[in-house]
Amino acid sequence: MAKPTRSILLGIALSCLTAISNAQAKEQLVLAIGGEPEQGFDPLLGWGQYGNPLFQSTLLSRGRDLTPQPELATEWSLSEDRLTWTLTLRDDARFADGAPLTAEDVAYTFNAAAKAGGRADLSALDHAQAVDEHTVTLYLRTPRITFSDQLMTLGIVPSAERDNGYSEQYGRQPLGSGPYQLVEWQEGEQLIVERNPYFYGPTPAFERLVFRFTGEDATLSAAHAGQVDIASVPPALAANVPTHMQRVIMQSVDNRGILFPMQPANGEHAESGAPIGNDVTADLAIRQAINLAVDRNTLVEVALHGFGRPAFGPADGLAWSDDEEHVDAPDLTLAGEILDAAGWALHDDGLRYKDGLPARFRLTYPASDTTRQLLAEVSAEMVRPLGIEMQPTGRHWDEIQREALHQDAIMFGFGSHSPQEIYYLFHSQHAGNGFYNSGFYANPEVDAHLDAAQAADSLEQANQYWQAAQWDGTTGYGLRGDSSWAWLVNLEHVYFANTCLDVGELGVAPHGHGWPITANLLEWRWTCEE
Amino acid sequence: MRLVLTSQSDQPRLRAAFSLGITTLLVMGLVASQWLLGDSAQQMQFDARLAPPSIDHWLGTDALGRELWARTLAGLALSFWVGCLAALLSTLIALSLAALATLSARLDALVSLLIDTLLSVPHLILLMLIAFALGGGTQAVIIAVAVTHWPSLARVLRAELLHLRQAPYVRISRALGKTRWFVLHDHLLPHLLPHCLVGALLLFPHAILHEAALTFLGFGLSPSQPAIGVLLADAMRYLNSGYWWLGVFPGLGLLLMVLSFERLSSHLRRAL
Repeated sequence: MAKPTRSILLGIALSCLTAISNAQAKEQLVLAIGGEPEQGFDPLLGWGQYGNPLFQSTLLSRGRDLTPQPELATEWSLSEDRLTWTLTLRDDARFADGAPLTAEDVAYTFNAAAKAGGRADLSALDHAQAVDEHTVTLYLRTPRITFSDQLMTLGIVPSAERDNGYSEQYGRQPLGSGPYQLVEWQEGEQLIVERNPYFYGPTPAFERLVFRFTGEDATLSAAHAGQVDIASVPPALAANVPTHMQRVIMQSVDNRGILFPMQPANGEHAESGAPIGNDVTADLAIRQAINLAVDRNTLVEVALHGFGRPAFGPADGLAWSDDEEHVDAPDLTLAGEILDAAGWALHDDGLRYKDGLPARFRLTYPASDTTRQLLAEVSAEMVRPLGIEMQPTGRHWDEIQREALHQDAIMFGFGSHSPQEIYYLFHSQHAGNGFYNSGFYANPEVDAHLDAAQAADSLEQANQYWQAAQWDGTTGYGLRGDSSWAWLVNLEHVYFANTCLDVGELGVAPHGHGWPITANLLEWRWTCEE
Repeated sequence: MRLVLTSQSDQPRLRAAFSLGITTLLVMGLVASQWLLGDSAQQMQFDARLAPPSIDHWLGTDALGRELWARTLAGLALSFWVGCLAALLSTLIALSLAALATLSARLDALVSLLIDTLLSVPHLILLMLIAFALGGGTQAVIIAVAVTHWPSLARVLRAELLHLRQAPYVRISRALGKTRWFVLHDHLLPHLLPHCLVGALLLFPHAILHEAALTFLGFGLSPSQPAIGVLLADAMRYLNSGYWWLGVFPGLGLLLMVLSFERLSSHLRRAL
């Protein structure tokens, strides 16, 4: 009897000791920030393009001023002809299984991502080659000014040639050299990750992170019940902060605007089967009138509760956007004159008609997104006095893709740290490429400016071309030109964070309310004693 | 006291007529309000957002300054039409299948199997699946509610038909060489009409509640339509912030409508 009793006592004493050591630091952080990727955590298919790849590390990282900083690569250079990148890798990087990360893995990642055709744009890459264990060379077909962005966003995966290497299952079982490794992913519910013991950087403050994938309502309820440490909240619901939490605002280049289908409906269908075109929005006068009629300041006030600022383009405030692109104040009189001149006559029913065609179209938004719903409903109300009826319609994303994407005006959101997004949104080559340029916008002059920007000698020269694509004095995708979008607002991302959680100095987030806040995860600290 | 109770229970027809009068008044008021109000349920007042109930705003306003009384009325009217169409379609399906079951023993077995299968699946799950597969929207909700609510009524109608088929006048009619169609059309269906009427009325509150539930869960009508389910889902978001009127009034409206139809159908059942 004596021996078992002693071992029980010893066990109790040990568990008490463990409990005491646990009490000294918070080991687990619960995050409800959304952003669950449909295709899994596979960088080759797009994981990490918006925000932080978490499991993988990138060759370079982006500083707060958006300039490249060393990450996996300690040195990098571009040849005179701007066709060859040479990068030297750090020698202490290891994957979460302990195997060293070498130039072979980097070369494999870039070559495979170019073939995979995911969200990473590697169309300019000819091939990547490992020179030695720590040196890799990337050969381009043509000079591409935005190629360096891929060095900052593409997470490095282990080569398929080695043990635990890349396979089709990688998205569900990611292995990388980032600060955390995946423990369990219950799709649609939660993701549990733990520290990668082989991470080359500073040890993260939290041993385990639990990401809860809940809807807006459930997230808010969990925040009020004290079940999460940080939660993303829509601006409209950000007024009432739970007692144990504080409001954290992250600036962003995340915007919302109305994409217009640019082609008339002539019976064509996209590869997905979705019909293309809309006779009403294909008319320039309608698009110009809507851009003049919406009161962006009121939208910020009503739909964002003040957490944002008016938007006039896809990249307001960034170097590749034209600062002169703006509307001083809504002008319904001028908008009405434009419509009258274009033959849109106001009838007794309060609606405008042109050749029997009513100025009526659907404004579709994802039904689960409160912010977009509010923006759609309020902007529809703002253009109603003009005699234009935008019908706000909430649908599921898959239904939007199947049915609405190319024939309805869509309340979209974009915003990137790279001008590559401008190329995707407005180049005719990307017409019908997923959500990018889903309105089938095509203007040869704009295409020429965008191509010239990609082939430019310097960032400064490229920025001039990017801006010219917006408005070059005669045409452009922007407000003064084709008015292909009605950009409405730039968001501030609002989070409720536990008062004990110090999230450090947050950067500027791209599109995607959620993952981008984890970009400086290594700086996060728990300031209270548990 | 006892006398009063007895006299009330002895007058089911009077009570049914009273219920019918009240419900008709409610429905007429609802329909007239939609005709008179136009699109006031959608009109926004940005300077009166989330205003509590007052003389200026009878039932308060929502996050975009829209009057809640106008939205509740619009929501109830929408629910009424959806409920009407769904209950009507559902009754038609039930009647057709019950009639089909009388034609042969094999068809009867098939219809019974279909009824039992559908009754064994929880309503709401089936509703969500159908509404989601049809892509949401008013049409999808009507179809989903219609194709899930007929089995109970079909079972009642089938049993009634089987019973009627053995009635002497039906047997005589068939012995005289009348066709099955003649028997069904001229002898059986007229007897079933009261059952159909009560059945449809009993289905109606169910249909409305399920429409609201579907929409509340995000599988039904678009969040931009002023449906009761949408108003309640909106209210849920703001509940933590203390805006109680957003949920209370649409909820009460729905309760009132469902109760009035439920009372009417139960009184009619007793009266008929």
